[in-house]
Amino acid sequence: MTKFHPAPEQLSEFAQGALASVESLMISAHCDMCARCQQVVAQQTVLQAEHALMDTQDDPATKTHDFQDDSKLDSMLESITQLPRATPSKTSRSGSRKIIELDGRVFTIPRTLRKYVPFMGNWSSLVGKLWQAPVDVGVSGVANFIYIGQGGSIPEHTHRGTEYTLVINGEFSDGLNHYRKGDFIKMNESDIHAPYSDDISGCLIFSILDQPLHFTAGIARLLNPFSHLFFRY
Amino acid sequence: MLVGIPLEQSNSVIKPKDCASEMSEYIVAVAEERCKRSFARVFSYFAPRLRSYALKQMGNEALAMELVQDTMSNVWQKAHLFNSEKGSPSTWIFTIARNIRFDMLRKLQNRKEDVCSDDLWPVLCEQTADANETSLDEQITLEQIGFMFESLPVKQKAVIEAIYIDGKSQQEVADELSIPLGTVKSRTRLALQRLKGMLNDHD
Ligand SMILES: [Zn+2]
Repeated sequence: MTKFHPAPEQLSEFAQGALASVESLMISAHCDMCARCQQVVAQQTVLQAEHALMDTQDDPATKTHDFQDDSKLDSMLESITQLPRATPSKTSRSGSRKIIELDGRVFTIPRTLRKYVPFMGNWSSLVGKLWQAPVDVGVSGVANFIYIGQGGSIPEHTHRGTEYTLVINGEFSDGLNHYRKGDFIKMNESDIHAPYSDDISGCLIFSILDQPLHFTAGIARLLNPFSHLFFRY
Repeated sequence: MLVGIPLEQSNSVIKPKDCASEMSEYIVAVAEERCKRSFARVFSYFAPRLRSYALKQMGNEALAMELVQDTMSNVWQKAHLFNSEKGSPSTWIFTIARNIRFDMLRKLQNRKEDVCSDDLWPVLCEQTADANETSLDEQITLEQIGFMFESLPVKQKAVIEAIYIDGKSQQEVADELSIPLGTVKSRTRLALQRLKGMLNDHD
């Protein structure tokens, strides 16, 4: 059972489309795996819609009758009804993949992340039964699939900026908590942890470090002895 | 002004609940008959409301009108994707506007490679229209069906592989194999039935 969810305000802001790209992406991927949060987002969306479109009776913006606006809307209506019916688009999901493989293991990837699987680099083996594959998600930040084999661990580290982690498969602990499939973890500079996995089939996580742009790789390398393993540019 | 299509006053007093079923019917009429009169009703109700939402969000008249136009164009062109069982017209139209706004803000910041709203909220994907077909898929794990998959007839296997492993849409598979969409759908259904049968036997 998923135990770690985004905060209620995060889900509400996600439904409004008000969150930054990286955070939206991770919450969306969490919701793919979490029926509870999916439901919260659906309810929030209904509320937001009512708030945005239905509670406008007393709003001066809709009340004020501006003839110029009316004529703008009239001509807009006319131009829209000249448009042809949309042809089904074929472009949207081509190239997405549902599964990734490592060492004969097959993992099903949540819907939101499937689009990025083709942009995944090769797995590289690191210390301590760790595997890592970088993913180009096109946003500022560093994204990786990380696999922790049974008995594997990641050296203790802090974070530069905010790190979002989603458990795709298996379980791991970090000295603070125990995380399972679907769990959503947001860590920032004040958090220190040392993840390890005792799961017999290991643990696959997806992580994005939402690094402020002014942190260069070079500085990060000097500051964080651990980072050279994970952050390659 | 559009000849023959009376524009109604937007602030007519309709209660939200009555309004939802009334607006649903208009949207269905747009989907089925391309009824301009019905669309004009939907437009005159929602466009001013969208405009006030858009003004608050974008803080700029020109951008706000662009958001209204893009949203209502989608309602006109993709009315067939509206499903009244899944939600009210206002929720559907709001999600379209929210998605367009999300993408507009990123385009304004010149971030072309950024996350796009369709990936987060697939409101207008043809895929979501028949999402119920994938419910079986959620119950069966790939590991479970691995060997059963091998026993499928070659043609069914090709379709299942393309859809469930490569993540292609049924339309894409139809195009690639040069077969009608209906054939892809029936092969998918037959294959899933067969897999389901094997799973039941297996238990
Ligand atoms: Zn959740």
